[in-house]
Amino acid sequence: MKRDTGPLLPWVLLVISILFLGLSGSGLLAPLESIFGFAITPLENTFAGWFDTLGTLTQTSRDVRALQQEVNDLQAANDLLVQENIRLREYAAENEQLRTQLNFAQSNPTYQLIGADVLERGCETLLCGDIVGQDTNPYLRYIIINVGTRHGVATGMPVVTGGAVLVGRVARVSVNLAYVQLINDPDSRIAAMLQQSRISGLVVGSVEGNMIMTEILPDETVNLGETIVTSAVGGLLPRGLILGQIDEVTYQESQLFQEANIRPAIDFRRLETVLVITDFPQPNLDELKNEE
Amino acid sequence: MSLYIGIPILMIAAALQSVWVEDLHILGGRPDLVLLLVVTWAIIRGANDGVLWGFVGGMCCDLLSGGVFGLWTLSLTVVGFLAGQSWVHALGPTVMRLALMSALGTLIGHGLLLLMMGLLGYQAAPAITLPTVALPAALLNLILSPFSFTLLVWVHRRIQPPTGALA
Repeated sequence: MKRDTGPLLPWVLLVISILFLGLSGSGLLAPLESIFGFAITPLENTFAGWFDTLGTLTQTSRDVRALQQEVNDLQAANDLLVQENIRLREYAAENEQLRTQLNFAQSNPTYQLIGADVLERGCETLLCGDIVGQDTNPYLRYIIINVGTRHGVATGMPVVTGGAVLVGRVARVSVNLAYVQLINDPDSRIAAMLQQSRISGLVVGSVEGNMIMTEILPDETVNLGETIVTSAVGGLLPRGLILGQIDEVTYQESQLFQEANIRPAIDFRRLETVLVITDFPQPNLDELKNEE
Repeated sequence: MSLYIGIPILMIAAALQSVWVEDLHILGGRPDLVLLLVVTWAIIRGANDGVLWGFVGGMCCDLLSGGVFGLWTLSLTVVGFLAGQSWVHALGPTVMRLALMSALGTLIGHGLLLLMMGLLGYQAAPAITLPTVALPAALLNLILSPFSFTLLVWVHRRIQPPTGALA
């Protein structure tokens, strides 16, 4: 058995490891990650394909497959209808707000008013990606998708499924892979609002994988079952992407804000395909900086 | 020499960890294949080989993680170094020290990971995650250690003729 032949090697590799940590955010490791990524990405894709095939093979009878397909189709159709319904409700709420603003304008004819959206939805550019794996770090809730910088993906881009349900945001990207921070990751923070009552708050993840809406003012009435959507405050996400529904509301007198547990709109473990929103109308933050 | 065989083994293990193992929930947790291989190899071949495998295995895991690059590399390098030290021999016969070091190495690896994540500003919450993630992983790695040992002893004998030290 070979033991402790070179005392220098461990220390050299330890120092390099610490350097990796220090240089990670600077982008200097990108070439190294690309080189190793080219080797490991095909392996990841191949295994993902194998396990996908293996999962299909376990369906023993053709009838079961046909029924499964029918259920999937119906589920997809139902999802589309639910999402369409939620979008329509979003438009109805927006319409209601615009009517209120119009009434305000009509009842105050002496005011000079200019209308403006917080952030307009629409004209989004979408890119489809398959989920090839999950994060090897068990303390992070990320998924790995098979699109990267060569497909036009960049850090910060929103990732959705079914067109309107927010999955997360691209946290890191390599040439062929993108690492998506799920909305239930403990470090995820998303400006959100309740669709019907327009109450705003912040949706945060937790180490247990749950989602909580925080920073809801104590005098607000939060209804159970109400849908939570992105509010686009900050301009990092489009408005109206679905996050989930209110499951439970908690408030203690000693606390500054109410909190609400959220029932997610999707089962994160069953995600297969997602869409990356590569472009959407954003406010010009440079202008804000210039004004400051 | 060990790296020629080690790189593909560790890459396959990391890819399996990401594609398959992360979906498993056994005893409330999941094993850490790469960490287990690093500990086993360090026990079979010593600290230098353990550190090399830890470094390469860590890089493979970091490539399949959205976190800061280097978290796994540093954790597994340290684990490989510790598992290959001579004091590990005092833990008893090979099977015993392999089982103990698989569990202990997993706890040390996860502890380091959480420590560094905490220092880097992640919401790590070790009080919650250590018993729910690290402990089941340590137990599962302990259970799986005879399999990794059988595999890597076979690899060891292919790349270097047996000296009788392992028998």
